[in-house]
Amino acid sequence: RAIHKSAVEAPEDTVTASFGKFISEIKPQHLSPVVLHRSKRMVLDSIGVGLIGSTTDVFELALQHCQNMYAPGDSSSVYGHRGIRLSPILAAFVNGVATHSMDFDDTWHPATHPSGAVLPAVLALSDMMPANNKPSGLDFLLAFNVGIEIQGRLLRFSNEAHNIPKRFHPPSVVGTMGSAAACARLLSLDPIQSSHALAIAASLAGAPMANAATQSKPLHIGNASRLGLEAALLASRGLEASPLVLDAVAGVAGFSAFYEDYVPQPLQSPGNDSHMFLLEEQDIGFKRFPAHLGMHWVADAAASVHKILVGVGPGTVSPAQVEDILLRVPKSKYINRPFPESEHEARHSFQFNACTVLLDGEVTVQSFTPAAMNRPDLHALLSRVRLEHPNDNPANFNRMYGEVQLTLVGGDTVKGRCNTFYGHWRNPLSNDSLRKKFRSNAEVVLPSEKVERLIEVVEDLDQLRDCRNLLSQLQ
Amino acid sequence: FPLLILGITESFGAGIHALNTSQLTDGVINRSKRMMLDTLGVGLLGTRTAVFNKALKYSQLFTSRERSSVWGQSDIILPPHYAAFVNGIAVHSMDFDDTWHPATHPSGAVLPALLALAETLPSQPSGLDLLLAFNVGIEVQGRLMRFSKEAYNIPERFHPPSVVGVMGSAAASAKLLGLSPEQCIHALAIAASSAGAPLANAATQTKPLHIGNAARGGLEAARLAQIGLKGNPAILDLDRGLGVYYKDYSPSAMADSAVRAYKWILEDQDVAFKRIPAHLGMHWVVDAALAAREKLQNAVGKFDLSQIRHVTLRVPPSKYVNCPLPATEHQARHSFQFNACTALLDNKVTVASFGDAQIGRSALKELLGKVSLETPEDNLPSFDKMYCEVEIATHQGPSYTARCDTFYGHWRKPLTLKHLVDKFRVNASSVLCTVGVEGVIDVIGNIERVADCSILGSYLRMTSNQEHLDRMRIL
Repeated sequence: RAIHKSAVEAPEDTVTASFGKFISEIKPQHLSPVVLHRSKRMVLDSIGVGLIGSTTDVFELALQHCQNMYAPGDSSSVYGHRGIRLSPILAAFVNGVATHSMDFDDTWHPATHPSGAVLPAVLALSDMMPANNKPSGLDFLLAFNVGIEIQGRLLRFSNEAHNIPKRFHPPSVVGTMGSAAACARLLSLDPIQSSHALAIAASLAGAPMANAATQSKPLHIGNASRLGLEAALLASRGLEASPLVLDAVAGVAGFSAFYEDYVPQPLQSPGNDSHMFLLEEQDIGFKRFPAHLGMHWVADAAASVHKILVGVGPGTVSPAQVEDILLRVPKSKYINRPFPESEHEARHSFQFNACTVLLDGEVTVQSFTPAAMNRPDLHALLSRVRLEHPNDNPANFNRMYGEVQLTLVGGDTVKGRCNTFYGHWRNPLSNDSLRKKFRSNAEVVLPSEKVERLIEVVEDLDQLRDCRNLLSQLQ
Repeated sequence: FPLLILGITESFGAGIHALNTSQLTDGVINRSKRMMLDTLGVGLLGTRTAVFNKALKYSQLFTSRERSSVWGQSDIILPPHYAAFVNGIAVHSMDFDDTWHPATHPSGAVLPALLALAETLPSQPSGLDLLLAFNVGIEVQGRLMRFSKEAYNIPERFHPPSVVGVMGSAAASAKLLGLSPEQCIHALAIAASSAGAPLANAATQTKPLHIGNAARGGLEAARLAQIGLKGNPAILDLDRGLGVYYKDYSPSAMADSAVRAYKWILEDQDVAFKRIPAHLGMHWVVDAALAAREKLQNAVGKFDLSQIRHVTLRVPPSKYVNCPLPATEHQARHSFQFNACTALLDNKVTVASFGDAQIGRSALKELLGKVSLETPEDNLPSFDKMYCEVEIATHQGPSYTARCDTFYGHWRKPLTLKHLVDKFRVNASSVLCTVGVEGVIDVIGNIERVADCSILGSYLRMTSNQEHLDRMRIL
């Protein structure tokens, strides 16, 4: 391959150049056991939610779009759809849509959904590589972790990023960059090409929060995945972009365009030493049910109220008993929906999730079906809910809490509070719980033998000589 | 129905759907035909650039049942989205395309999408249908830019075509597809999630992709809306919708489209066409430099570089076009200093001025070393209000100063039809044979009478014999 000579030499002491260098020089031996372990859990969970997500309407629509537009590209697999293959970019797109279609995918702090933007692109790119040159499982995991690491680093460039977002949907901002980084790593781009991949990706980043809680939200992750891959492919063909995209330049916004406060930091290349991946310091949250992360606090708080009222066995709270339901939650407009009208809105509604738990004891995949959403009992409870936003409850996934206070007819009150839901990074899902979630998701579209094989393959991913064993199990 | 009860986004959906050919005035038809011709010319010329070639090679990874033409290529077809992508890139590849006020490059985001889409439709649109859809795409962009004061000035954060261009492309494509008002709303919502590229990539090889991506993103949004994808139906109303791209955001409804005499923005506010393939600001400084040069020449009898002691440029403050020593063609097109010095050195600035050899000339570099910039307080960073002044200080003592308030080609001093067509001929002839060149001029000139606009596509593919022979020799 010809040595790449950029027309514009990026000065070496820029933040942008440091990122390009890191992506190009990081090696598998820099992955610590903790990072390997945590990232394999992320890969498993992400595949599972993608598999079940491939049964949703929005996925079907995205797939139809790709099939209408394009002849079969015959190289990359589509989650849970045997016999359908698409070109890598489109496979990354639809699989990303699947992953986020039910808001069931992982969440990090500072807030984003890191895996769905990266994994589909890395899978698609691996599929694209010639049969005699497939990445090993370790190469695959390294690329995945680069994609996660870059996202984490970028999120730390601003204070705005630490809170529940108001303007740009984070996966559309950092997710695209992470995907570009991961693909640059897998393509073995040199430092300059890697930094151009990031810069090209920046021009493809950014979607407004207004489309969260709509059917278009899953496309934010689908697009992040495919556009990051595209950026890396364009960079590999020599396309050049700004060598200062991550740096702060007064009067000309780069990546800083997406934030009100922005203080970038260079990334150290590991050289012969180790590298402390952010994933080692800050674990991921996995969801137990398919709804916005904030819902998990009120769900757990409501669960303890439910338990008190009806005992441990299956039972229900009757609306007739209930006078008032008070939720004490952080202030965040897009997850405050008293009467959600679609499944997308319901997944973004404190009120809906709290009331579902009060009725059923838990929120599940089934809670968002039209039948479940239209129950008269549910509507009766919803009409009794009010919200309070205490000053000590910030809109921040690391510090928020959820409180549910039920006032019964007759005056008694029952209170439940959750500071850290099970699945949060402070109280991570056990391996058993994670596998249980995976099985329950994957079995909707795959036979159990494949499901078990997938669990094994991901568990041993870092030992795999050739990631084809992973790629072949996804449909 | 009365507009008062419609939300803003709803009014746009209704307007896009309802606007019809009988509302196209002579003024708007005339101006938009000029825009179409100029866009095709600069696009054809642009198909010989490095960035276009990279994008084309990349896009050829994709095949589809639907086939759309690549301008200036007799035998390459692409999926419509990728045709829109590469043709859009061609249009903006040399920064030679039209500019509007408030600032954006309106046509490049719309025309490539429409032509690519038209080729896929089962029944070919008439020239008038095409003209209407084009004007809808321009109108929507103009309306959106009036939602914020920030838009009126030379940009600093997001590159305007990446914000409003994709919305215009979505609107135009929705119009040509005949989408319902509701579908038009969702086309806009989906497009918003593809908007927004940072300014840092201006003055780089990636900038043209902003227009290419706007064209294809809008087309895609319309097609997704056509198959039923939904986004936020209040996308234009909300701060967290389109408002995320602006610091101040004050949207208003589209004017009632049911009236017989619809007031198009293009009727009130014309575009500027460029005489030089460079950022619009360069046109002022070039005209001022040429005038100052002439003054010196008239006073002294001859013009000699050695006479020049110092050159002062008085320009509006805009970081991304302040480049003292550009290293690439992209930087050169965004450099007050480069364009002023080229004008002084060569007594003209042309397409050829931006080649590597020209940029690297030692005489030019020496002159560049004598330049300083001033940003007077009364020189506002707005294409409607700025001026440029060039002061040449000589060794002999006297200084020669000239000022340009309105360059020839600006909306206040529009190119004559003859000069516009001349520009087109020169550009198009570098790629098409004479039959093709004259064919395009004829079709656009009479577009409102053309029954089937596919004839345009045929002309755009009529490369010259020489071109054909050259390519055959390479093969």
